[in-house]
Amino acid sequence: MEDILLKQARALYRDRLRIALAAFIFVFAITFYLFYSPEIITLGVVPPINLAPSGWTQGFAVVASVNTIGFFSTIVLMALIFRFWSWAFLPGPASTFTLAVLRGILGSQSTIRYTLGKRFRVTLENGLQFDVNCRIKEKNTGEWFAYRLVSTKIQSDGLRNIALRHGFGVKDDRFVANVSNDELHLRTFLLTQAMMLVGPSI
Amino acid sequence: MEDDAETASIYELLQLMSSLNDTRRAILLSLAHIYPRSVSGVQLSRLIGYSGKSRSLYRGVISHLKENELIQIDQLTPKLYAIRVNNEHPLLSVLVELCRAHGETARKIYLKALEEE
Repeated sequence: MEDILLKQARALYRDRLRIALAAFIFVFAITFYLFYSPEIITLGVVPPINLAPSGWTQGFAVVASVNTIGFFSTIVLMALIFRFWSWAFLPGPASTFTLAVLRGILGSQSTIRYTLGKRFRVTLENGLQFDVNCRIKEKNTGEWFAYRLVSTKIQSDGLRNIALRHGFGVKDDRFVANVSNDELHLRTFLLTQAMMLVGPSI
Repeated sequence: MEDDAETASIYELLQLMSSLNDTRRAILLSLAHIYPRSVSGVQLSRLIGYSGKSRSLYRGVISHLKENELIQIDQLTPKLYAIRVNNEHPLLSVLVELCRAHGETARKIYLKALEEE
């Protein structure tokens, strides 16, 4: 059973991908026009071999020109903007879902900060923090909206035992776990419980 | 006193099991029943009635369970893995113990399902 908000988020994400692709094609055409319709500024590079028809030399001059460099840097810039966009933002309904789940289990005493990079930083009452990182789609498994829970570094003797007893692994003094979206609620709960157990010793 | 510690472990086990989603729960429950036997990835995906590809089960759920030390994986050959429940886990050893004591019939069903190859 999938949450209705996540279903919406998934549909929204897919739609936005399509829109982004369409916009990309459109903008590609416009940039192509913008960069090649003005005068071609050549780089002054001569073809490495002697090309027999003179048309080839002219064609080479167009390819090896400032215009081409500008054109490709624009394309790269667009790709980078797209990468940043998909790295930084979670579709609206998905962040609503995550915040609702976290607020629900942690109450109003803990603060939750939603930052760039699809990360939710939770500060518990005892001052300990953990991060909830969301991934829109897992590459290997095709799973939608999976989370990774990572706590801050904790110095405690019984750390490993406490981690195991709450279903977490330990990776350089942090509690870590990958959880699916339907587990988010209860596993965050267990993480909070585990962190309250190690808390007072700090 | 000892009894108290045991019920505490059972309580924690109950909490742990309910925090996992159905796929993970099914994996742990079936593996705990057939312990100390280990299964391959394909056998496991059949055993828990997983509809997706066993490879995606492998890369996702199983590697996550391993990260949290709930299961152990031995690599027999580059392509063949033996998966079993981690009996050194403080709570899963309780589960294995429970399955041994009370899960005789369930174990029979699981083992029968594994036989048909």
